[in-house]
Amino acid sequence: MNLYHNKLAQWAAYGVFFAIIAAVPLFVSDSFLLNQLGTYGVYGLLALSISLCWGFGGILNLGQGIAFGLAAYGMAMTMQMQTQDPESNPIPPFMLNNSLEQLPALWEPFWSTGLGITLALVVPTLFYVIFGNLMFRARVSGPFFAIMSLAMLSALFTIILDMQPYTNGANGITPPQPLTILGTPLDPYGPATYWLVCGLLIALTVGAKLLTQSKFGLLVQAVRGDAERVRFLGYNVAAYETAIYALSGFIAAVAGCCWVILVQYVSPAQLDVSFSVTMVIWAGIGGRLSLLGSMLGAFIIQGGQSYLGDALLSTWLLGLGAFFIIVVRFLPKGLAGLLEMGLGALSSGRRPKQLEPADRANAMAGE
Amino acid sequence: MAGLLEIKDLHKSFDGTPVINGFSLEVTEMTVCCVVGPNGAGKTTTMDLITGRQKPTSGTIHFAEEDITGLGEHEIARRGIGRKFQVPAVFRELSVRQNLEVAYSKQTNALKNMFVFGDAAMKRKLDEIAALANLTERLEVEAGTLSHGETQWLEISMVLMQNPRVLLLDEPVAGLTEGEIMKTARLIKQLKETNTLIVVEHDMGFVREIADVVTVMHMGTLLAQGTIGEIEANDRVREVYLGSEEH
Repeated sequence: MNLYHNKLAQWAAYGVFFAIIAAVPLFVSDSFLLNQLGTYGVYGLLALSISLCWGFGGILNLGQGIAFGLAAYGMAMTMQMQTQDPESNPIPPFMLNNSLEQLPALWEPFWSTGLGITLALVVPTLFYVIFGNLMFRARVSGPFFAIMSLAMLSALFTIILDMQPYTNGANGITPPQPLTILGTPLDPYGPATYWLVCGLLIALTVGAKLLTQSKFGLLVQAVRGDAERVRFLGYNVAAYETAIYALSGFIAAVAGCCWVILVQYVSPAQLDVSFSVTMVIWAGIGGRLSLLGSMLGAFIIQGGQSYLGDALLSTWLLGLGAFFIIVVRFLPKGLAGLLEMGLGALSSGRRPKQLEPADRANAMAGE
Repeated sequence: MAGLLEIKDLHKSFDGTPVINGFSLEVTEMTVCCVVGPNGAGKTTTMDLITGRQKPTSGTIHFAEEDITGLGEHEIARRGIGRKFQVPAVFRELSVRQNLEVAYSKQTNALKNMFVFGDAAMKRKLDEIAALANLTERLEVEAGTLSHGETQWLEISMVLMQNPRVLLLDEPVAGLTEGEIMKTARLIKQLKETNTLIVVEHDMGFVREIADVVTVMHMGTLLAQGTIGEIEANDRVREVYLGSEEH
């Protein structure tokens, strides 16, 4: 049996991964580097959410920036309001510059940190439930869903850019102080914040991994293969699609909150189409059918971007493009698929995949 | 005894072209009803109408005295109507075991299924059905690598995992060898003890073997109904179907 499919071995691999990322602050003393590695945790969360939605659910989502961006704005609003005073200074400076004389009603709930963070997580998730339900009940799927999600993302991008007095438009929101929770400020450059992001990544990865092993996880994979067939077995396919899409949106929303905690900044760039497409590329290269593979894909691409991208400039983009083409053409399951093939060859010495074309011909002859 | 499944005056047209033209049928519980007819007679469309894949233009379908006309596919399936497709539809990327697990649809709620990790009753049933369909040795392989005969049997097994009261089998022996056909016939006779079956089939030898009632469709309507003996003696049936189609 292929070790790659052994559940115990899989959990062991995840355990090693968790141990490594949790140990990072013990070896990294440079606080800027630690902060940067924290943002990799955010990329990891986003890759995880894409792997669930696209890899397991088969729903190609080019608009994951919707949940990420909405949550990031919610978190930035919460942090901004923490620095305002209801009596002496109730209105953020950028609003005054845009000649607003009163705090907009939209901003009122963000006086409360608890309510603000709750909204930052609930609003995007609820948005996914409603949008997903509308799409999936109408049986919109495949490339059509991808286009719809892209269109929705672009619409939100434009709205946020346009509502200058409420969102500060292209400048975005820059809360002057770190997030304070229960009276303690969370230093974005300290190990505590790194561990917060890391802990969320670990908890959500474990949750997602368990989900893929449940009956629900099996069903979304069946829906990916043949949604029509699943309906005739008595399952409401739209409910399954909406659920996996909304869960992936929730994870992206957590990522959005962590992002603002780490960088103290949000702008429409977080809802930019190219960023959402980048998330799909991470999962595609790392292996969308593997949660861990997708996350490592994000680390490899973003790491390459940070270190090689500066040195190679536009050559990096060419290289990335070529790499992506090679992976899509020769490794449809990404780098994780390469590992799967390698371990499969080790365990059996032959590849069962080679049987497939003959059998397909056989099946067609029978019809 | 009232029919378990009652179809009354069913009509269906696509863009104004009638495909089903006032078709009526009553299927008695615990019998095997075979639906035969030349290509384009409307057999598969009738299956689509019963299972909710298509909505009828007019007419009604009652199952266990409940009107199920116009319900969604999953709602009809939950009431106990299982279907095997003409082109075997299994989940090719999943293992045979996973295919059977998916088909076990006692709990269909998405949120509740997030907390289901294998269930003992399901495992017992899975082993039982895999043994019945000779798939015990093949449980861990990817369904896409099965032979055509095994794929047909896997799909029948999936319908059984669903535990339906009525099984609709669309060409269950298409492309099978003589030996596999005989095995399928034995399985169907065994199933008749506990289930009601509607079988669409071209192979008249197979129909002769299993049918209690044979329904002949032609041009979207009922041409004749009766025992296989009566049907084979019917001149009109010979004219439109048996004479030209039997091989």
